[in-house]
Amino acid sequence: MFYVTMFFQYIGQYMKTRLEYRTDLVVEIFSDLLSQAINLVFILVVFGHTDLLNGWTRDEIIFIYGFFLVPYALFSAFFNIWDFNERYIVKGELDRILTRPVHSLFQVILERMELESLFGACTGLIVMFYAGSRLGLELSWYDPILFLLFVLGGALVYAGIFVMLACISFWADARTSIMPMMYNIGNYGRYPVDIYNKAIRFILTWILPFAFVGVYPAAFFLGREEWYSYSFLTPVIGLLFFFLSVLVWNKGVQKYSGAGN
Amino acid sequence: MNAIEVKDLRKEFKAYSSRAGLKGAFRDLFTRNYKIVPAVNDISFTVKQGEMVGYIGENGAGKSTTIKMLTGILTPTSGEIIVNGMDPHKEREKFVRTVGVVFGQRSQLWWDIAVQESFRLLKKVYKVSDADYNSHMDHVIKTLDIEPLLDRPVRKLSLGQRMRCELAAALIHNPPLLFLDEPTIGLDVLVKLKIRDFLKEINEKYNTTILLTTHDLTDIEALCERVVMLDEGNIIYDGSLRRMKEKWAEGREIQFEFLESPELARLEAITKGLPVKWEKDEKSQVFKTVTGDDDELVSQIIAATVASLKVKDVKINEPSTEEIVRNIYERGMV
Repeated sequence: MFYVTMFFQYIGQYMKTRLEYRTDLVVEIFSDLLSQAINLVFILVVFGHTDLLNGWTRDEIIFIYGFFLVPYALFSAFFNIWDFNERYIVKGELDRILTRPVHSLFQVILERMELESLFGACTGLIVMFYAGSRLGLELSWYDPILFLLFVLGGALVYAGIFVMLACISFWADARTSIMPMMYNIGNYGRYPVDIYNKAIRFILTWILPFAFVGVYPAAFFLGREEWYSYSFLTPVIGLLFFFLSVLVWNKGVQKYSGAGN
Repeated sequence: MNAIEVKDLRKEFKAYSSRAGLKGAFRDLFTRNYKIVPAVNDISFTVKQGEMVGYIGENGAGKSTTIKMLTGILTPTSGEIIVNGMDPHKEREKFVRTVGVVFGQRSQLWWDIAVQESFRLLKKVYKVSDADYNSHMDHVIKTLDIEPLLDRPVRKLSLGQRMRCELAAALIHNPPLLFLDEPTIGLDVLVKLKIRDFLKEINEKYNTTILLTTHDLTDIEALCERVVMLDEGNIIYDGSLRRMKEKWAEGREIQFEFLESPELARLEAITKGLPVKWEKDEKSQVFKTVTGDDDELVSQIIAATVASLKVKDVKINEPSTEEIVRNIYERGMV
């Protein structure tokens, strides 16, 4: 309960900060919308050239991409921790976090949230509805619920992986370029995994389970029954990875050696 | 009750020493030389509730490391810490509700939002009730004179203004124990005085324990009965400030300025038989001699000197705490 209150307190605070710079806010919202629009056009243009990919139609692939954007937007809105090493370890900001009676990871997440990224979810929904209507998909009553569940699961998969990556900085001092690489690998999850070879498929399913962010849950809504078991694993994998990452984080905080003055 | 109990506390850091040159850099790629450096070396001390303790030492003596272990930020390599009856890093979230922390070189406040918004958020973080907050913080805000700053964002405050707000922010939950790591660094005299008065006041009013690190020994003189002195991770002195002065003060120093600078040998001849040693400061043409605490000796030296040489100026200097501390470090006395 306390954490829910804190969550809304921080969101309130975040809004206030944003509103303080009015022009900034307008410009930012405009540029966010613009970049989402470009994204949308880009998707349609790129996929306009593919008709069938290993048994997946063009519209199905677009649908998967649209789905992917929703958990991804959620992830980037709340887990903006790609610069964790620099900001919190090198500059020693973590010291401040650790003197407050709220879980440290929770504080970092709240401090770094960027709610504008949620616009990406709108793009995702538009793409999904566009592709869905062309495919003639029907909506059942339980679909929205499962959609939410899968989106949360997908976002947690992303969060888990990136929190674990951020934890590397607790042990290794030097900056690593692993984060950008991981963003790249994350993109593979938005394409049907059976177009890759077995090894990559295995990695995307069990080691870096990015497939659970895009293709697996989306397959459920596309009615691809052969993937259903994977679809329903999405929330489980999400929770598992996120839970693991929190464990690693707690271990890392113990190991944290602080920046000098 | 003891606010802080520390026993055989030790913190080691693994430092890696790089080899010289390009060839060395290549070798570093494969095998690294690690050195275990103890930053804090098996120290023990206790602080009673309501005490104000000055924790002093040179840069790198281990002050900040100790404070960070006491506040639960760092995990000790070995040893025991009990602060407010808890183990700081084991029950961190519960523990930090009972302490306030100010790091002079880092801000605890949110950079972009108004000071009062920071306070409001911290009030929620520490679950302080409205009644407690109002009665306590009204007073704090008045005493620190930060009322006019409350609606300004932190990034627009001067250092002195920010520091007062930081202090207020650390006291929102009225903690029984306050850690201050160089709270007066870079501040002007007026702000320093204000902060000192304020600290004294809350110490009296709430019996707040205060542990303070600083490089400004006037802070310590104004506030602390007791000092703990650290050198290379070891406690080299723990006791009252007065006793430290008595123990290590070198006596007084007499400075002469003459109309015509004499030879050192001449001065030594004049004060022959007295236990003094003359020194000459080449730059300012000032002659110095150090005496013990013997008052008679002072007048004897002055009498003998004035009788035979024309004197322009005489000064008798009491050693300051700063000099005493410097002496202790230079000689590495334990």
